[in-house]
Amino acid sequence: MLSKITVSPAPHISQDLSTRGVMGDVIIALVPAIAAAVWFFRFQAVWVIATCVLSCMASEWICNIIRKKPNSLGDLSAILTGLILAFSLPPTIPLWAAAIGSAFAIVIAKMLFGGLGCNVFNPAMAARAFMAASLGALMTTWTVPATMGEVHCKGQEANALAAIHAENTYDGSNGEIALTQATPLAWAKSAQKGKADVQLVNQMVKPTFYGGVGGCLGETSVLALLIGGVYLLIRKTISFHIPAAVLIAAAAFVGIFYLISPDKYANPAFHLFSGGMLICAFFIATDPVTAPLSVKGMWIFGVGVGALVMLIRLIGELPEGVMYAVLIMNALTPLIDRACKLMPAGGKPNVS
Amino acid sequence: MAEIRGKCTFPGGAHPPENKQFGENCPVEVATVPKQVSILLSQHIGAPCEPLVAKREAVTVGQVIGQSDAFVSAPIHSPINGTVKDIALLPHPVIGRTMGIIIDADAENNTPKQPVNARFDKDFNPTDFTPEKICMSVRQAGLVGMGGAGFPTQVKIEPNPRLEKKVLIINGCECEPFITCDYRVMLEWVWQVIAGIRLAAHAAGVNKIRIGIEDNKPEAIKIVSDTIEQLGNIGDIQVVPLKTKYPQGGERQLIKSILGKTVPTGSIPPTIGVCVLNVATCAAIAEAVIVGNPLTHRIVTVSGCAISKPGNYYVPIGMRVEDLIEYCGGLTETAAKVIMGGPMMGFAIADLSTPLTKTSGALTFLTKAAVTRAKYEKQVTACIRCGRCLTACPEHLNPTKIAHAVKYNKLDLAKDYYLSACMECGCCSFVCPANIEITGYIKTGKILDARAKKRLG
Repeated sequence: MLSKITVSPAPHISQDLSTRGVMGDVIIALVPAIAAAVWFFRFQAVWVIATCVLSCMASEWICNIIRKKPNSLGDLSAILTGLILAFSLPPTIPLWAAAIGSAFAIVIAKMLFGGLGCNVFNPAMAARAFMAASLGALMTTWTVPATMGEVHCKGQEANALAAIHAENTYDGSNGEIALTQATPLAWAKSAQKGKADVQLVNQMVKPTFYGGVGGCLGETSVLALLIGGVYLLIRKTISFHIPAAVLIAAAAFVGIFYLISPDKYANPAFHLFSGGMLICAFFIATDPVTAPLSVKGMWIFGVGVGALVMLIRLIGELPEGVMYAVLIMNALTPLIDRACKLMPAGGKPNVS
Repeated sequence: MAEIRGKCTFPGGAHPPENKQFGENCPVEVATVPKQVSILLSQHIGAPCEPLVAKREAVTVGQVIGQSDAFVSAPIHSPINGTVKDIALLPHPVIGRTMGIIIDADAENNTPKQPVNARFDKDFNPTDFTPEKICMSVRQAGLVGMGGAGFPTQVKIEPNPRLEKKVLIINGCECEPFITCDYRVMLEWVWQVIAGIRLAAHAAGVNKIRIGIEDNKPEAIKIVSDTIEQLGNIGDIQVVPLKTKYPQGGERQLIKSILGKTVPTGSIPPTIGVCVLNVATCAAIAEAVIVGNPLTHRIVTVSGCAISKPGNYYVPIGMRVEDLIEYCGGLTETAAKVIMGGPMMGFAIADLSTPLTKTSGALTFLTKAAVTRAKYEKQVTACIRCGRCLTACPEHLNPTKIAHAVKYNKLDLAKDYYLSACMECGCCSFVCPANIEITGYIKTGKILDARAKKRLG
C-alpha cells in the first residue's frame, strides 16, 4: 500500500519559521539604515559594507571547511555580523582594516567558540574592540557626510552645524584631502569639559534624527534605525524588553546629570539619538545569542547596557561607550541567566 | 452565528493551524465490523489487565476479557462476538509492544453497534442512582479518560475524604489541530453528554460545574448552553467560552483559564479540589450507568490530506489502523506519516496493524509535503537562544536549557530546570526557528530519568 512511513517524535507540524528567516528579518530591518549610510557617505559606505559582508562570509565558509562542518552561510548570520560591524566603523576605514576586522569577528569571536549560538560575545562588538585597540587613529577619523552641504537647517541648528564645520580639519598629509569632523558625541564631551557651548550641542538633536552628522556608518540617521527597530518589534523578531530597558536606563542616567547641571551635560534626547545608542538598543543588544533568555534577565541586561553606555559617555574618558557596555554585559549574560532561573507555573515541585 | 469571544485563557501557548475543516461537518458514521480486532491489555494509566479468556474461547459483545485487582486500573471488554484467536505481543501506539488479545469476528453473528444517544432526553434525573452505584458502573464499564491520558474515570470521580472536590470541569476544548470527535459528540450527543456530566457531578458530590469550550466552536457553545437552559434549574452549571489557543485543553491550562488557579507542579487537580473530565468520557459515563454498556466503542476522527474519506467514525476499540484506513477508502499516494492522535501530541506509528485504544481520539494522516515542510526542508540549526520556547511554554519552563542538558547527557542539570514539570505539549518544538526537537529531547530525558530511578531501586 505505502512503501515508507515516517516516524518521529511529536509535534509533527512546526511554525513556518527558520533561523534563516529570523536573521533575514533583521537584515531587512537594517535596509533603511543601509540606505541612509549610502545616502550620506556615498561610495565610501558601499565599499565598507561590501567588504565587511564579503569578508565575514568568506571567513565563515573557510572555517566550516576547516572544521569539516556543513556550510552554514545559509543561516545568514555571517551577513548580519558583517553589516553590524560595518555600521560600527567610521566611513574612512581602509578596506584592508575592515576585512581583517570582519575575519576576526567570525574566526575568533564566533567560530572558535563553536559557531552560531555558542559565542559568548557579540562578534561584531568583539571585532570592533579588537580594531579599536590595534588600529588607533583609523578608528576615530570621521569624514563629513557627502550630503553635508545639502542639509538645510534653520536658525540655531545651523549655528550648531556651522560650529562643527569650523572644527573640521583638512588632512593633507598623504597628498589626499579628506574633510574630517568631530562627531556630535565628541562635541558633547568637549562641552562637558567646558570647551564648547552645550546649547549648541543640544541643538543638534534634529540633525542627528534625520541624519547627516559625522559618525559611524550606521549611526547617522536615527529615523532609519527607528524604522528598522519598529519593523522588528512588529514582526516579533525581537521583544520590546531589551530596547526599552536600554533606552529607559540611559535616559534616566543622563536625565539625572542633566537635571543637576544642564549647562554642562547635553540633554537626554541628544544622548539617545546620537552615537550608537539606537543601533545598540535595537540591533546589537538584542542579539539573542549573547543576551539572556528570560524576560527578567532581559530587563537586567538592558538596564546594564544603558547605564554602562552613559557611564562611559558621561564619566569615562571615551566619547562613546556602546561597544564596551555590550561586551561587559555579554560577559555577564551566563550569570544573569543563572540568577533568573524560571520557576514553573505551578511553583517548585515538592518531590525532586 | 454570532461570534463568541472567549476571554479566559492561560499564559504561553501557540497557535498551530486548526485544520478542523476535514471532519468538522462530517456527522458521526458507524463503521463496519472488522474481521479481527486486537484488544490491548494496557490502554490506561495504571496496572495492565490480566487476560480472563483462553485461546479458542468464544466471546460475546461486552464480555469482560481482561481485568486487574489494582485500584488504578480498568477492565477491558470484547467489542464483538467471536473467538479468541491468540494472546500475544502486539504493537502499542505509545509504549512499543504490549500483550493483547486477538479476537476473530463471528462472520454471521455481528452487526455494528449503534450509538445510544437517542435514548437520552430532557427527562432524566441523576439522583435516581446512588453515587456508589455510579462509581461501580463506571469501574465495571472500564471507563478511562478518553481525551488522551487514559486515567481510570472511577478513581477520578470517586469521593475522596482527604481531597474534597469542589468543582467539576468538563473539557470540550479539543485544542489539537485536525481532531473533531469531541466537537461532534457535543453537537450530536448533547443530551447524553449532559446526562453524563450530571451523573459524574452527583457521584463526586460536586455542585459547581464548568464546561470549557474554545471559541472556534461557536455551534458547540450554543448547543450546550441551550440544552442547559432547557433543563432549567439544575444547579450551578455554566458553559465557559475559552480563547482558541493550544494547549487550552491541557488539564492544568484549562483549570488556569476557567478558575484562575494553578495546580502545584507535580500534583494532580484534586489537590486543589478540581476534577476534570472530557466530554466523550461524560457521554460514556451516561451510557455505562444508564444503559449498562461497557466502553467498547468510541468516536475516532480520521483526518488529514493523505486519507481519501476523512470524517468521524464510531468504531470498535481494538480495530486496527489498517482496517480503518481501508474503511475510509485508503491512503492517497502522497501519504507519509500516520499519527495516532493529533499532530501536536500524537504518536507517529510505524506498524499499521496497531490497534485503536480507548484513548485514540484521532488518526491524522500527513502527506509527504507536509512532513517535509515541517521536518526536513528546514534543517536543524544551532539554538540561537531566541527565547521563543520560553515564551510559548505554558508551564513556564526553560525548554531549550532542559533539552540541551539532556542532549549532552546532563540529567541532573535537566532536573534542576524542572524536567518533570514538562507535560510534553510540543509548543516549544512547534515555535523553534532552529527546528530542534525540544520536546523529543525532554521526553528522552524523562525516560532516562525513570530508568536511572529504577536502577537505584
